[in-house]
Amino acid sequence: MSDTVTVRIPSALRPQIGDQESLDVAGGTVGEVLGSLNTQYPDFGKRLYKGENEINRFINIYVNDEDIRFMENLQTPLKPGDEVSIVPAIAGG
Amino acid sequence: MSQDLERYHRQMLLPGFGEEGQRRLMDAKVLIVGCGALGTVIANMLARAGVGHLVIVDRDFIEITNLQRQVLFDERDVAEGIPKAEAAKQKIAGINSQVTVEAIVDDVNHTNVERFATGLPGVGKVDLIMDGVDNFETRYLANDVAVKHGIPYIYGGAVGTVGASYAVLPHTVTPGETGETPWERAGVATPCLRCIFEQAPPPGVNPTCDTAGVIGPAVSIVANYQVAEALKVLTGNLDVVSPTMLNFDLWGNHFKQFKVARAYDVGECECCKKRNFEFLDGKFGSSTTTLCGRNAVQLTQKFNGSKLDFDEIAKRLKAHGKVTANKFMLRADITDNGEPYELTLFNDGRAIIKGTKHASVAKGIYAKYVGA
Repeated sequence: MSDTVTVRIPSALRPQIGDQESLDVAGGTVGEVLGSLNTQYPDFGKRLYKGENEINRFINIYVNDEDIRFMENLQTPLKPGDEVSIVPAIAGG
Repeated sequence: MSQDLERYHRQMLLPGFGEEGQRRLMDAKVLIVGCGALGTVIANMLARAGVGHLVIVDRDFIEITNLQRQVLFDERDVAEGIPKAEAAKQKIAGINSQVTVEAIVDDVNHTNVERFATGLPGVGKVDLIMDGVDNFETRYLANDVAVKHGIPYIYGGAVGTVGASYAVLPHTVTPGETGETPWERAGVATPCLRCIFEQAPPPGVNPTCDTAGVIGPAVSIVANYQVAEALKVLTGNLDVVSPTMLNFDLWGNHFKQFKVARAYDVGECECCKKRNFEFLDGKFGSSTTTLCGRNAVQLTQKFNGSKLDFDEIAKRLKAHGKVTANKFMLRADITDNGEPYELTLFNDGRAIIKGTKHASVAKGIYAKYVGA
C-alpha cells in the first residue's frame, strides 16, 4: 500500500475501468503506472493513449498539481503517495 | 454616494473594489459567447454587478430541458419560442436598467467572431470575453481572438457533475518581448487555452450535457467562478487573478487547482507563442453546406483524422431515438425541442443533418448529440 500512488479517473473514463473513481497503483514513473492500467483495462487504455507511448492531446496528466508535459512526460518519476490526475478537456456548457 | 451607485454598495465595500472599481465595471464591455447554462449565469451575475455593456451571442432557442439549469429562462420563453440571446436581454432589462445588452442570434464562427469581439458598431473592442460555449471549436475561436487582440478570455466547461475554469490573460507579443497590456506590464500574463489543451477532443469522444447529463450546480459553480475572475480583471485587480486551472467533481467531492504557468514557458503553443491563429484562419473546425432541396445540412469536421467510435456514440444516442450503424455510417433519429431530425454520421466526422436548412441549427445538433 505504501508503495503506491493514487490515480484519479475522470468520470468520462470510469465505465472503461470498472466504474472506479480512483485506484492505488504501483509504479516508479507515470508511464509505468498508466501502462499497468492499460494492460489491465485495454478499453481504458484505448481512450487514453494515442500511440504506443503518447497520451491523447486533449487529455492532460498531472502529478499532484503539475502537468507532466512540462516535467519529464511519461518518464516523470513518482514517489509513494503521489496523486496522478487524468484530466480531459471539458467541453460542455 | 451618487444614486446610480447605491445598488452596488455591498460589493463596493470589498477591498480592492470601491467606487473606482465600480466605475470601471460600469464602463466595461464584455462579450458573452454562448448563452446556455454557463452563459445565463454569467450574464445574470455580470448584469447584477453592474457591468455596463454586454454583448450576448447565441444561435439557439430555449427548450423545456434547458430550464433545469439555465437560470435566466422560464416556461413562457419556451412557449413563445424566444431565442436565448433575446430572452436574456429581456430578463436583464428588468434586473438592471443601467446595463445595455446587445443580443445577437447567430452562430459564432471564424468569419464573424472577430467582428463580435472588436468591431460591433457602438461597442468596438470588448474588454473581456466570457466562455459560455458547449464545444471546443468555438472556444478555440474565442481563444484565438483573445490572443490576437489582447483581450482577456475566461474559459469554463461543465458536464455531468464535473467542471473546469481558467482565466487567460493573453500574451500579445512573441516570447522575449514585453507586451503593452496591463497584465503583461504587471508580469501576470497566463498561457492560452491551447497551451493547456493542445487539441480539441475528436467528435464523439467526450460526453455532452445532452448525452451524459448535467446538474445545475456543476455549471453554476463554473460560471460563478468565471464571474469572480471577470470581476478581478475588470476592476483592475490583475494580481489576484488565479494562475491555476480549477477542476472539480461534485459527486466525487474532489476539488483541484492545477498549475499552468509552465505551459507557456516550456510549451510550443501555435497560438500564443507562434501567433498562428489556426481556428480564426479556418484551418481547423467545421464548415457547413446546405443541401439544396433536401431540407438538410452537411457538416464537415477538420480534426486529427482518427475514426469515430460508432459503438460509443450509438450507446449514448439510444436514449434519444432509433440508432442504426454499420462500418461506414451511423444513423440516428433525434427529437430536439420537439422537432424531429435525422443525423447521419460518417466515420471521418462528417455529418448530414436532415430536418433543417439552417447551418446554425445543424451545428447545434452536432455539438449537443455528437460533441466536439
